[in-house]
Order: sequence, then structure tokens, then C-alpha cells
Amino acid sequence: MIRPALSRRPHFGLRARITFIYALGALLVAGAVAFASFALVQRVLLEDFEEAARAQLYRNARQVRSNLQNQSVEVIQAALAAPEEDVPEEAGALDLGDILGNLLKPNGADDLLVLQNEPRSSRGLELRSIPSSLESLVKQGGAGQQRAIVEGQPKLVSGTYIAQLDAEYYEAASLETLQSTLDQLGFTLIAVALAGGVAGAALGYYSTRRALQPVVRVSNAAQAIATGDFRTRLDPTVDPDLAPLTASFNDMVGALEARIQRDERFASDVSHELRSPLMTLAASVGVLEHRREELSDQAQQAVDLLGKDLRRFTRLVEDLLEISRMDGVDIHADLAPVVLAEFLHFAVQQSRTPEVPVLYDQADAGLIVMAEKRRLAQVIHNLLDNALKYAGGATSVSFSRTGDLVRIAIDDNGPGVPAVDRERIFDRFTRAGADAGRRDVAKGVGLGLSLVAEHVRLHEGRVWVTDRTRGTTGARFVVELPVGDSTGVDEEMAI
Amino acid sequence: MHAVGTRILTVEDDERIRQAVKLALEDEGWDVDEADTGEVALERFRDRAADVVLIDIMLPGMDGFEVCRSIRRQSDVPIIMVTARNDTHDVVAGLEAGADDYLTKPFAPKELSARIRAMLRRVRSSDGGSMERISIGDLEISPDEGAVMKAGKELHLTKTEFKLLVELASQPGKVFSREVLLERVWGYDYFGDGRLVDVHVRRLRTKVETDPASPRYVVTSRGLGYKLQP
Repeated sequence: MIRPALSRRPHFGLRARITFIYALGALLVAGAVAFASFALVQRVLLEDFEEAARAQLYRNARQVRSNLQNQSVEVIQAALAAPEEDVPEEAGALDLGDILGNLLKPNGADDLLVLQNEPRSSRGLELRSIPSSLESLVKQGGAGQQRAIVEGQPKLVSGTYIAQLDAEYYEAASLETLQSTLDQLGFTLIAVALAGGVAGAALGYYSTRRALQPVVRVSNAAQAIATGDFRTRLDPTVDPDLAPLTASFNDMVGALEARIQRDERFASDVSHELRSPLMTLAASVGVLEHRREELSDQAQQAVDLLGKDLRRFTRLVEDLLEISRMDGVDIHADLAPVVLAEFLHFAVQQSRTPEVPVLYDQADAGLIVMAEKRRLAQVIHNLLDNALKYAGGATSVSFSRTGDLVRIAIDDNGPGVPAVDRERIFDRFTRAGADAGRRDVAKGVGLGLSLVAEHVRLHEGRVWVTDRTRGTTGARFVVELPVGDSTGVDEEMAI
Repeated sequence: MHAVGTRILTVEDDERIRQAVKLALEDEGWDVDEADTGEVALERFRDRAADVVLIDIMLPGMDGFEVCRSIRRQSDVPIIMVTARNDTHDVVAGLEAGADDYLTKPFAPKELSARIRAMLRRVRSSDGGSMERISIGDLEISPDEGAVMKAGKELHLTKTEFKLLVELASQPGKVFSREVLLERVWGYDYFGDGRLVDVHVRRLRTKVETDPASPRYVVTSRGLGYKLQP
């Protein structure tokens, strides 16, 4: 039976998946909370900052207005006419730079006064740095605020029109401190969100361990049952969520146990009932065969027929009982170390085709497999019988080792096995040519190869059939078995 | 072919099988005693000792294992268990109850005769051999007398156990494969049942070893066979 190798796609266990979902959930929740807090804090801080800047702007604008509105036009003209660096010395002269420099600016803003289209600043803020949309708004007599990059720095630029002076007054406050505060907050919140995810994973891992404990117990119990221990039961529980599972599991095992006991008793009874009359027949035929010479010719022929068919019928019953036992739960091979070359030599010698050569590399003469001799002998005999029936006999039995596996090949020169039948022939009651309606009773009932498959399965091996290669026709049945521990038998064997 | 007057006791509840087996055994020239239950069998055996006892495992009332144990308590007569199932449990339980060999129904009379003859040979060969006395540790084996002494006290071995011990003692320190032991002790070919050897080694250990769980004399060699540690 060739079983296709299972595709190896990675998949995660229930616990891993639950843990992952917990972690993802916690991360999402913590992330959302962090994002919301960040957005909220950012808005509040910005609004506060803007409001403070606005209040400061209006206060300073009023201050400028009160400083300048009583000055005569000439004085203002003189102040504006003077270059910025050249401060007028005379008394009564107006120093715009001083006025602006003396304004209170707790947020450290730069100032800019545009009076009669002449910009003046105590800190070097230039008119071209003012966003044009804000400037036009202020020029039309409005007031406003706008965030902008000024000389590569994020700034909040506020501006208002001073009607009495027909002047514009601007302040540009640095947002850098606010930005770094927000950055710090952002980093902290990301860290908190990640920690939330990790905590979620830990919680998921821990809680699934508790939650999956009943599943683990059920799985352990099921495993014990699968290995044949039908007395295994789950401990009764008071947990209302688990009680139905426990109860139905135990009921199921109970029913299964009863069923299997019934089946085993039945099989045992059948075995006994079939073997008893066969025993009487075998003993009686034995007496007749022993006294064959005393019988007439006709009676001798009858005894020969009787003996042959009794043996065939006995084999059939043995095979049927054997295959029915294969369905039992506690079925296993009694494995013992077997020297394969020696074993095959004897197995072939005892078969109906003892002349078939056993071929192997001399280096493998001491190769050991773990096998139950009786079962493995039946495998070899059934394959040799199969070759005898369908191909006139095997041409060779050979074996070779590849790594931890040994392949025993039984070759013949027959018609081979069509590709479509290559798996089917190992099923129960399948026979070559059965589809064509041929019923050749002498060829057996088709249990031989299915017994081969079952015995090989009990040895944790595989069996399959292929065409022979290298220009010859015929079938090659291959039995693959794991190699036993044969690392140099250093003991001196008695012979 | 064999000594006249060799007596076989067959214990079998199925009347037809009993009759047929009796016919077959008598046809081979043996005297046959019959019993249809375990209780009757023990009575017969007390009245007149048999040379070989053939016991069916499935008996009404006292089962075959119990009959086997009872006979074993009073005699080292060769016992063949007959089972209707070839499963490990019956075979091993029968051997552990003290049987020397087993047969699975249905068997040919020729097969049974061969088993009986092998058993009788075993008994006789230990009567008339000429091997030297073997001393290993505190064991002293006298093949000629069929006796084993451990620290000066005589051990009670069955004929098969004794033969097994003598075989192992013939080449101390050498490993005997199951196949070799099956051939020399039981007269089987290569395909004899290795469980016969394993269970008999277990039984032998309970008698010759001080601690059968960690044997000093009869040791297992890497699963390949057994040897007598000199």
C-alpha cells in the first residue's frame, strides 16, 4: 500500500491560535486607547497653546496700540524712517524695536509689526515668513492663527490687525517644545500598547492552559483507550460546563468497551467453533492417511482429495481468523531481532517454491530487522504463492538496505500488475482478473495479499508492487521494513 | 519406534475430538488415557502416572491452565497445551502455568506425534548422557543425574528447563539464539516459536537466580539470544 506523503503545511495548535488572538485583541484595544488618548491630548495641548498665543497676541497688540496711538505722525514717520539698526538718540524719539522687545511673551514668540508697510521686529522675524493666506486675512482687518514652518522650525503664527494704527501685528511661537512633548507621549503610548499585547498573549497562554486542561485530559484518556486500555475513564467533575463532556465521553468508552468485549468473545467463539470440527477432521484424516495402504484404489483417491481440501479449508479458516484478529484493538507484532538473510533463506526453503534464489549484498549478511517471524514468514510465503499463481513462480527474492530501511523484493516474470490494480490488490477479497468474471477457486479467495499488507503494517513497514525494470517484464513486490539495531554483534554466538 | 507402553493422558471436553485424537494416538502405537474435565484428569493422573499429558485450555469448570499448574505441582511430566487460538495471551499463560510446549487446533496427528517424540527424547537423553559435571558460581549441574544444586540445595527443574540449562551450560559465555535453542531443546526447525524459549528462560530464572529480575546466570544478550554467564 503506497500512502501518499502528507503535504507538510505548517499549522498551529488551538492554544497557539487562542494566544495569538488574545495578543492581537489586546494589542488592538491598547492601540486604539493609546491612539485616542494621543489624539485627545494632542488636541487639548494644541488648543491650550493656541488660546494662550491668541491671548498673548491681543494683549501685546493692545500694548503696541496704546504705545503708538498718542504719538504724532511725525514721530512715527521718524521712527520708521530711521534704519532699524540706527536707533534715534534724541529725547522723545520713538524706538519701535524697544517697544516690541519690551512686550511680555511668555511663550517665547517672535514679534513682527507691519506699520505703514514697514516691517519691524525685535527678533528678526521677517514678513516673508508669514503665510500669505494669514497675511491677507490680517490685512483685510481680521485675525487668525496658522501653523507653519518658519526657517525650518514648526511655529504657530498668530496675527491681528490694529485698526487705530492701520498696522498688522504678528507673533510666531515655536511649537518645538510641544512637539517633543507629544513625541514623548506618542512613544510612551506605543510602548504601553505593545506591553498590552504582550500581556494579552500571556493571559491567553495562561487561560488556555487552564481552559484546555479538560481537553488535554480527554486527549490523554483517548490515547490510553486507543492503545487498548478500555478501563480508562475521565474523573467526574462538578463543573457544569464540563460535566456533559465527561459524562458522554465515559458513556462512549463504556459502550465501546462492551462492544469490543462482545466482538472479541464472538471472534473467540467463532474461532473455537470452527477449529473444533476441523480438529476432529484433521485427526480422523490423519488416521486414514496413516492407513492409506490398507484402502482400495478408489478409497485412496478419496482420502487424498479429502486430505488436500481439508488442508486448504484449514488454511482458509486460519487466514479468515487471522484477518479478523487484525481488526482488534490490542493487535501488535511480537517483535524480536531476526537476521534477515538467514530468515529469507529458511522462509524460501519452506515455501512451495524452495528453489527461488535469495540474493543480497555480502555486506548485508548480518543485517537484523525487528520482526515477528511467524508473520514475516507468512508475508514471504503469500508473496511467493502469489507469484506462483499469477506468474508461474518468483524468479528471485532479494533485499538491500537504504539508510534505516531495508527493501525485500520478490520478482517474477509474469504479466505484471496493471497500474489501476496496484493498490486494490492489497484489499481483502480482491483477486487478479476478478473483474473479468474469472472464478478460479484453486487460486484462493484473495486474502493472501491483504494479510501481507496487514502483517507489514504491524511491522511499521510498507508494501507495494511495481513493474520490473531493466528490460524485463513482470511484477516486483517490495516490502519495506525498518532496520533493527545491528551495530556490530560483538558477542560470540554458539552454533 | 518408541517404547511400548508409553502412556498419553489427553484432557479434552469435546467428545468427538477426544475420540479422534485417541484413534490417531493409538494408531501411532501409544496407550491413551482420557479425561473430559480437569477434575477427572487430576484423578486419572493420580491413579496412573502418564508419560506425556495433553491439555486443552478451554475446559468446563477447572480450566486447562489450572490443571497444568496442579499437575506441575506434583510432577515434572512433559505437558503439551492445546489452544484453539494462536494469540499471545493463551500461549504465554499456558507456558507460564508450566506447559513444556503447545499446539494450535487443528493440528495433524503427525505433528502431535513429532512433539510427543521430541519430549520423550528430551526425558531420555537426560537419563543416559555422559556429560561432565558443570560448576558455575554457586550452581552445580550434573547432567548425568539430571540434578542441579544451588549453594548445596537441590533445585526442582522440569525436564525441559533442565535441558535448556544444560544446553546453555555446554558453552558458557556463548550466546545461543532462540533458533538454536528451539532446535536443540524442543526439536523445532527455524520457524519454531521464540516465546517457548523466552517463557522457559523466565521460568528457569525464578529457580536458579537469587534475584530473577536482575539475572546473574541466565542473561539476555541484546535481544539476540541467551547465554549462561560463567
